[in-house]
Amino acid sequence: MLIPRKYRSIAVAAVLLIISLTVLSFSAIRLSETGFLRKMVLEAAAPVEDTINISLQNLHDVWKRYLFLVGLDDENRRLRKRNAGLTEQLNRYREGSLEAMRLRKLLELRESFPQRAVAARVIDRNRSSLFKTLLINKGTADGLRVGLAVLSDQGVVGRIIETSWHASRVLLLIDGNSNIDGLIQRSRAQGILQGAGSAGCSLKYISRAEEVLAGDVVISSGLSGVLPKGLLLGVVTGASRKEGGLFQKIDVAPAVDFEKLEEVLALTTDMKPKP
Amino acid sequence: MIYYLLLPLLLLFLVVVQTTILDLFSLGWISIEISLIVVIYAGFHLDALRGGILSLVIGFFLDCLTSAIFGLYTFLYILIFCLAMIVAGRVYGEKPTLIASFTGFCTLLEGLVIVLFYRFVFSADILYALPEVFLPQAVVMGLLSPLLFRLLHRFEVFPHAADTRPARRI
Repeated sequence: MLIPRKYRSIAVAAVLLIISLTVLSFSAIRLSETGFLRKMVLEAAAPVEDTINISLQNLHDVWKRYLFLVGLDDENRRLRKRNAGLTEQLNRYREGSLEAMRLRKLLELRESFPQRAVAARVIDRNRSSLFKTLLINKGTADGLRVGLAVLSDQGVVGRIIETSWHASRVLLLIDGNSNIDGLIQRSRAQGILQGAGSAGCSLKYISRAEEVLAGDVVISSGLSGVLPKGLLLGVVTGASRKEGGLFQKIDVAPAVDFEKLEEVLALTTDMKPKP
Repeated sequence: MIYYLLLPLLLLFLVVVQTTILDLFSLGWISIEISLIVVIYAGFHLDALRGGILSLVIGFFLDCLTSAIFGLYTFLYILIFCLAMIVAGRVYGEKPTLIASFTGFCTLLEGLVIVLFYRFVFSADILYALPEVFLPQAVVMGLLSPLLFRLLHRFEVFPHAADTRPARRI
C-alpha cells in the first residue's frame, strides 16, 4: 500500500471530504442534470415511499373515520339531549298556552258575576266510585267556606263541603249527596238535580205533564241562594214516563267534564267593589 | 463483501422510513434524523473505510430524496463522521451522556452549516431556524441517541452471534 497504515484513516476521510465538497460546490453553483445514480435511488425509493405513504394514508383515514364516528356518537348524544330539552320546553310552553286559555275563560266567567270569585287549582280528585269530590288549593284564608258554589268555564262543578285554611273539598254535581235547584231552560220547568255517580245526574220532581226532550239544557234556578241563576248544569240525555208516579225520570249529563278539570272558580257571597 | 452489498439497501430503507414515517411524529417541526445517529455510531465503532462509505451512501441517499442542494448532506455526514472518528480516538465513547451531548452538538453543527450555507451561497437568512428548529432537534436527538446506539450495537453484533462458541479448555 502506498499510504502507511497510520495515515490511512486520515487519507480516507480527506478523500471523502474532498469528493463531497466538490460535488456540493458544483451543485451549489448551477443546477445539474440528475445523474444516473440519483435516478436509480429515486426509482428505487419511489415505490417504497409510495407504499408506505399509502399505508399511512389508509391508517390515517381509518383513524379519522374512527374519530369521526366517536364525534358522531358524541354529537348524536348531545343532539338527543338537546331534543329532549326542547321537547320538554315545547311541552311546557304548550301547557302554559293551554293554561292561559283556560284561565282566560275562567276570568271571563269571574267578570260576569257580581260576587267575588276565587280562582283555585284542582290538586286532587277522589277516584272512588262512592264519593265524587275534588280538592282545591284555596281555603278559608282566601275567603272560602262550606256551601259556596264552585264553577268552571264549562258550568257548575259543585259546592264546597269542607275547608281548611288553604284547601277545600268540593262535592261534585254527580255525587249522590248533591242536590241543586235547576230548571229546564226551554220549558222553565223546575226540579232538583241530584247526582247519580258515574251515570251523571238526574233531574227530579218534574211533572209528567211537562214535555222534556233530549238535548234540553238544564240551568241553575237560583232559588237556594247558593248558585246564581242561569248557570249551566247539564243537558238532558233522556226522559221517561214509564215508571208510575207523578214525576218523570230525567237523565242529565253534566256540562263539566270532571276528569279534565284543572282550575275552578269559587263564588263567595261578598259583592265585588264597583269600579 | 456482504456488508457493501446489503448496506445501500438497508440505508435506503432507513432514509425512506425516516422521511416518511418518522416525519409524521415530528409534526412538521423538527426532523428525527436517525441517519445522523447512524453516522455518529459509524464514527465511534467502524473503521474509516467502512464508516466513510456508510456516511457517503447515507448522505447521498438523503441528498437524492430530501435535500434541495445536492451534496449538502453528503458533505455534512462525512464531516460529522470525521469528527466522530476524532472524538472516538480520544475519549471513551460508550458513556450515554457523552453520546447524547455529542449527538446534540452534531445536530447543532449540522444546523449551523446549513444556515451558513444558505446565508453565503443563496444569501438567504434562516438564522431563526437555529433556536427554533435545530436546538429542540438537538435535544430530541441527544435523548434518543443512547438508546439507538444500544440498538445499533445489537444490530451490529447480531450476524456474529452464531459464531460465538464457548472457549475451548486447553
